[in-house]
Amino acid sequence: MSEARIHGIVLSGVGGQGVLSLAQIVLEALRRSGLHALQSEIHGMSQRGGSVHAQVCFSEAPLSSPIIDQGCADLLISLEPLEALRYVAMLRMDGHLVVSEEPQVNMEGYPPLDDVYAALKSVRGAHLVDTEDLARRLNHRQAGGMALLGMASKFLPVSEDVWRDVITQRFEAKGERVTQKNLEAFEAGRGLVPVTA
Amino acid sequence: MVHSTLALGVEAVGCAAFDAGIQGAFGYPGTPSTEGFEFVEAMIRAEPGGRVAHWAANEKVAYDLALGVSYAGHRTLVTMKHVGLNVAMDAYANSALTGVRGGLVLLVADDPGMHSSQNEQDSRRLAEFAWLPCLEPSTVQECYDFTGRAFELSESLQVPVMVRLVTRLAHCRAALVRRETLAPAGLGVVPKDMVQNWVLIPSNARRRYVDLLAKQPRMLQDLAPMNRLVSGTGRKGVAVSGMGRAYFDQLALEHPGLAALTRLEVAAYPLDPQLERAFLAQVDEVFVFEEDYPVLEERLGLRGAAAVHGRLDGTVPRAGELTPRLLKNALGLIAAEGKDAITLDLPVRPPRFCDGCGHVDAYEALQAALANLGVPDARVFGDIGCYTLAAQEPMAAIHAVVEMGASISMAVGAALAGQTPSVAVIGDSTFGHSGLPALLTAADSGVNVTILILDNRVVGMTGQQPSQALDQVERLVLGMGIPEAQLQVLTPLPKQHEANVKAMEAALQHPGPSVVVFRRECIQSLRRGVLKDHDREEKARMELACCTSAASCATEARP
Repeated sequence: MSEARIHGIVLSGVGGQGVLSLAQIVLEALRRSGLHALQSEIHGMSQRGGSVHAQVCFSEAPLSSPIIDQGCADLLISLEPLEALRYVAMLRMDGHLVVSEEPQVNMEGYPPLDDVYAALKSVRGAHLVDTEDLARRLNHRQAGGMALLGMASKFLPVSEDVWRDVITQRFEAKGERVTQKNLEAFEAGRGLVPVTA
Repeated sequence: MVHSTLALGVEAVGCAAFDAGIQGAFGYPGTPSTEGFEFVEAMIRAEPGGRVAHWAANEKVAYDLALGVSYAGHRTLVTMKHVGLNVAMDAYANSALTGVRGGLVLLVADDPGMHSSQNEQDSRRLAEFAWLPCLEPSTVQECYDFTGRAFELSESLQVPVMVRLVTRLAHCRAALVRRETLAPAGLGVVPKDMVQNWVLIPSNARRRYVDLLAKQPRMLQDLAPMNRLVSGTGRKGVAVSGMGRAYFDQLALEHPGLAALTRLEVAAYPLDPQLERAFLAQVDEVFVFEEDYPVLEERLGLRGAAAVHGRLDGTVPRAGELTPRLLKNALGLIAAEGKDAITLDLPVRPPRFCDGCGHVDAYEALQAALANLGVPDARVFGDIGCYTLAAQEPMAAIHAVVEMGASISMAVGAALAGQTPSVAVIGDSTFGHSGLPALLTAADSGVNVTILILDNRVVGMTGQQPSQALDQVERLVLGMGIPEAQLQVLTPLPKQHEANVKAMEAALQHPGPSVVVFRRECIQSLRRGVLKDHDREEKARMELACCTSAASCATEARP
């Protein structure tokens, strides 16, 4: 990710999962890393358990478009497996996908989970994580989002220190323990992706 | 790195208004405009007294509040979504004739693609209709800079100035650099020799309309620096504004060949015809990229000087939001080849009622009552808010949703045409917004309508802002002329279902107008404690009233 082209991250999930908060953390981390970054979000009705998605665009050069074209995203971060499938075509050929295996079934006709996982695994560059299991192991019910961020961090030009600073700042108001728990989840996620892209 | 803060486009407008020294900000919530007001409200609350930020009962009231601040000589901001401007249109169009004293800036957020709206009307047309300037930023920084400029223009031209955003910009978060911060400074109330300008009786209005028309050349002149013609090398060109300009600029970075195109960059309306002619003289073929209506496209096309491509000839789809892909397609750029879309059939995930939402219990009582009374194919008039979600299958409990407040009047109209039962469902905030005059007519008509007011005590949909009708719904209903016997207040809870169904049946069977209030606080606002302070203060007030006057305990018991 060195040339001054526009880079894109798509974030998806279900209303209430924290997609927009995650996008804001990513935006802030990129900005602190000296990059130009824009975030686009669509909400309103989507607060109510519907599909939610956000995009973050960044570049070394100033940029004016907050959204990227299909086939141009470098990374897709999804808090929900079915929601990830909607945006696979947004990814570049060499793009990566980090996704939670934990389904949110709040509508009719959710496909069989095995089909969903198979579709996800057919995507080159897909990294799945069982956030439910991770949350149990970390004794932190909401570890999923931060773990996914940890995984995603391996594909983004942001140093670990900056990530830690931004996460700390985000959770500061909720106290030391919450901050530590979130940093721990972030590190756990980071450990799940072996190499840096 | 530049020192800056992160802000949404609408927030940047609010921030700029604060920095421009406004005395008051007003608005009515509506996606994607809401955060603009909330941002400036937070800034005003954080400083010691003096300035005000106040949600109004509706957009027209908000606009008139702003106009009053302007009359008193201060700068002011008023915010709303595009369809809200329809509600405020009377005030907006006529304020073009009165003109302004203190600078008045109107933030309107349009919603191309209808992410959370009932239409995709273009506010630029309404500015044109009112003969007023409209500024259209393309970036978050421009949202800020243009708003500052809008205040200056408003005061120099003595007219209200619209700042038009669209969803993608309104909800684009980016770094924002603030400029100079001005303290509020009053110009003083409208002086005596100008008072007649503000009295729009026909004799004055005729004169003021001529004055407004006479201001047009100066408007063109003052706005001219915001619009730009950049010559290319060939005979092809693009005309871009708003997000069209943002997307084009981005593409131009990645495709240096686009620099050959002659560009007309429009950021302010009305557009100088001389600039249009100068642009058209350099091109034979033009692509127009703008959000919503083909405003620029029509103007350029009408001149007949070049082949103009855009929404009208199908180069860009007639409806819906612009995207970078649509620009690429129009300009013949090769789209990137990315991963294949997943072939698995993916069901949509529509928004739904929150678990435990009282609206669900209210609708269940209504539907059970209609079934018990043997109404097989009811037609229920709905309104705008979270409860609109009931229009979806499987609930399908409302069968018309048009605009704020329409439920009551449509139900009265249908009842007058003989429909029985005729039922309206409206939320407490929408009731305060424009249900009140409709209820006055309903009571006056005497027809058989049943009006459900789903009172969740906040403006739920847009983020639990305060509802102007808070704690006052019954008094308002009675005040509009509904007899006390025809007003019932119910609690929408599963355990109350049987009793609620019975009460609903009684209301439906009553031959005249009746009102059923279903009251239970929005569970989101309950979770966030939005009304905690309000309820505590209210309780203390009640207790105090009891202590100072023993009689008031018995007589002033509030609903």
